[in-house]
Amino acid sequence: MLGSRQAAFEAAVGDCLEDLYRYAYWLCRDRWQAEDLAQETVLRAWRGWPGLREHRAVKGWLFTILYREFARGTGRRRLHVVPDDELHIEPQDHADPALAIDVDRALRALGEESRHALLMQVLGGFSCAEIASALGASEGAVMTRLTRARQALRRTLQPDAGREAKEG
Amino acid sequence: MNCLEFRRVALAEPRRLEAEAARHAEQCDACKEFLVRALEDEARLARALRVRAPEGLRARLLDRTAAARRSRGILALAASLLAAVAIALVLAWPRNDPLALAGIDFVVFEEAQAILEAKPADPGELRRVAAQLGVALPAQLGELRYIGPCPFQGSTGQHAVVKTAFGKATLMLLPDRPLASRAVASAHGLEAVVVPAAGGSVAIISGSSRSLEHIEMLLKSS
Ligand SMILES: [Zn+2]
Repeated sequence: MLGSRQAAFEAAVGDCLEDLYRYAYWLCRDRWQAEDLAQETVLRAWRGWPGLREHRAVKGWLFTILYREFARGTGRRRLHVVPDDELHIEPQDHADPALAIDVDRALRALGEESRHALLMQVLGGFSCAEIASALGASEGAVMTRLTRARQALRRTLQPDAGREAKEG
Repeated sequence: MNCLEFRRVALAEPRRLEAEAARHAEQCDACKEFLVRALEDEARLARALRVRAPEGLRARLLDRTAAARRSRGILALAASLLAAVAIALVLAWPRNDPLALAGIDFVVFEEAQAILEAKPADPGELRRVAAQLGVALPAQLGELRYIGPCPFQGSTGQHAVVKTAFGKATLMLLPDRPLASRAVASAHGLEAVVVPAAGGSVAIISGSSRSLEHIEMLLKSS
């Protein structure tokens, strides 16, 4: 039987789980590790749920827990991170595998902090201020990282961006 | 807002333009074009990141016993095989502490601005905060090139740039940031160490690990 606490928890986190998984996936670049990481995050969230005041902000909370779990480095999952020079894209997991490979490569070329900030924004929909508080950085630093990250990704996302840059 | 500022804002957060930026895009064709492209890129990026979630993910994640069951399953074998590698890696892997990283970010992105905007230095205030933290600032630290208050993660610390025998280092006295244990990070070619102090902490950031060690040792022995 589903208790009312569990029902409320499921209703709140249920919609975020796929994005949470995706965030984990791009952090550790491995399906199994990503699910493990998401699982650990949900367990922690479940334990912390009674103390959470702002239930509407649940997605940011989940992403922050997951990021901390990832960064903590004590669990096995931190150690399974696929090395940057290894290709990990499995075509069946992606709607556009060619694009995923290019984006993966471009993400690898970014600094770790820029990559995290970008993933939090694109997958989590967070503002610079929210990312800054989750990553323990200043808002200005997060803006700079995101600006640089998107500049670096332009070439990947738009093959003709180089020409445009000269014109504009 | 000028075009340069607009482009910075548009690349930092293309989907949430504030009113001022939106007005600029309405009036400036080049920036409007820039924004359209940024939004196209954003859509492609979002599409590329939308990796397919595995079947039954939601049910597994919400079933709190799933983790235990899986660990007894096939993953247990993989885990045990990888355990030896994991132990070796955990010893070698330097962990980046968020507070220490924020110290590095401050030096990379904000220190120059803080120094530019600083009012005349007040060495008394630096000493007062140091005393509050139970930290002495011995002359052997090196030459204090700059001191001033610094806004740091919502509170104000005291910021000093020291020229040591091994190179430049930044010291941040953070009376409002208590810390349980020493933390480290390295990024942007800099290293940071944050050490607990009475009621707060002290961050040391430098490009030279010898300079870090030197300062940390002096602070400890004080
Ligand atoms: Zn313009």
